[in-house]
Amino acid sequence: MSKENNVVLSPAELKEKRRKVIYAILPVISVAMLLGLWLLASHFSTGAFGFPSPADVWDRTVRLFQKPVKKLTLIGHVMVSLKRIGIALLFDWTFGIAFGVLIGWCGKAKAFLNPMFNAFRAVPPLAWIPLVTIWFGTGEFPKILIVIFGSLACIVVNVQAGMSSVDKNYLDVGTIFNASPAQRLFKIAIPSALDAIFAGVRTSTSAAWMVVLAAEMLGADAGVGFLITRGMDSLDMPLVLTGMIAIGIVGSLLAIITQYAERLICPWTRRKKSF
Amino acid sequence: MSVDEKKKVILNLENISQSYVIKDKVKDAVENVSFDVYDNEFLVILGPGHCGKTVLMNIIAGLEKPVGGRVVLDGEQINGSDSRIGMVFQSLNLMPWRTVMANVEFGLEISGMPKKQRREVAQKYIDLVGLHGFENSYPHELSGGMKQRVGIARAYTSNPEILLMDEPFGQLDAQTRYAMEEEVLRIWEKEKRTVIFVTNNIEEAIYLADRIVLLSNCPAQVKQIYDLKDLPRPRETTSPEFLRIRTEISDNTDLAL
Repeated sequence: MSKENNVVLSPAELKEKRRKVIYAILPVISVAMLLGLWLLASHFSTGAFGFPSPADVWDRTVRLFQKPVKKLTLIGHVMVSLKRIGIALLFDWTFGIAFGVLIGWCGKAKAFLNPMFNAFRAVPPLAWIPLVTIWFGTGEFPKILIVIFGSLACIVVNVQAGMSSVDKNYLDVGTIFNASPAQRLFKIAIPSALDAIFAGVRTSTSAAWMVVLAAEMLGADAGVGFLITRGMDSLDMPLVLTGMIAIGIVGSLLAIITQYAERLICPWTRRKKSF
Repeated sequence: MSVDEKKKVILNLENISQSYVIKDKVKDAVENVSFDVYDNEFLVILGPGHCGKTVLMNIIAGLEKPVGGRVVLDGEQINGSDSRIGMVFQSLNLMPWRTVMANVEFGLEISGMPKKQRREVAQKYIDLVGLHGFENSYPHELSGGMKQRVGIARAYTSNPEILLMDEPFGQLDAQTRYAMEEEVLRIWEKEKRTVIFVTNNIEEAIYLADRIVLLSNCPAQVKQIYDLKDLPRPRETTSPEFLRIRTEISDNTDLAL
């Protein structure tokens, strides 16, 4: 009798199990449908300029590893793009966080610097491309500059918002214990703004990844942005799709890494997974 | 009479007044409040609704300046916060990015005490409030009562002469509240320190207080001061004496509208 009790599930357990199965199946169906639509599209649009089939794209991806484009395999091109945003983000996270802390914490600095910053922010990063190209040509530096222009505002805005909304309750605790201005900043305000700072890190990373593609599509000889323009120029549709998929995968990996880093560094924020 | 002679005044409020300008209208929160606080006593400030009690606490703690009057500690006027006054806050004010240990040792860290030493002091008070074993927990992992214990331990670490407690148990459920009231008395008896405790709950006030300062409704003024020193502890909330005092204070309390 007791053995049977172990096997037979109670109604609550059955309900829970059914719920879990449904929630496990739904994403699978969604991916399968996407693949199905893709197959359907490639079936009806044939020819060289048509929609390439998943098999074509797979073949092209494999070939990209065996026969590099401009001396670089897919991994090589991804690394070139990642290096560009890496340098840009390094600058964003040092200068951007410092600047955000300054204008978020110090009212006078904000009053003075905010109009300047807003004017800079109002111009979309891609509008800088002609000017930057004329001044600096098409080397590495102008591309990194464009990426910085495209991602700096994200982190500054987030950090500034976090720093200007520090809970007064925490500052009161500092007052009770006679904290110095430096202690109020470094021991109370900045730690309490850490989740906002991380939101800035996340958004600036994804913005940098978007902008680097645009910068690479306008004159580069390496990087994933270059790869898809090369596909377009040589009417190599599978190569375009290979590049697009690689961009998508790297973009989500970056999001996962930054989120994981946040959980590691700020264990008190139990943020829900957003993907 | 001999008891009275031993009483030493540690803090006095002299004609404290506080007003704010809200939507172009002047609103008086505290009006001409004066009273003395004796060394080592448990003083409860009892008042209706949300009028003036927290303001009064913030003024004593140096978190805000009164528009009139002065606070005198050990014979000297104080301006701003003073290390001899500690505070347990109404809203818990624990820093979510710090563990229990790190929250408790915050004040010591600010004062520049070396790490090893402040660990020891913090551990002593963590043990005292009964949180042994939770040193590495984060505030969001604790219950309301436990969070309040962290707040109490943190306030004790800086070794204040006067401990302010601003409605610390207002957000707790009734059961936890009774337990915490006993806990506060136990700690107070062990760590003899002057406590000024704010509440709007009459039973809580009578259960805890050596003396009760009853405030009026807005603007807060001192209505009456009750001396309960002769009521033996632990107090029985259903004893005739307790109920008599309760009725007396209750009849004298303004309704908060």
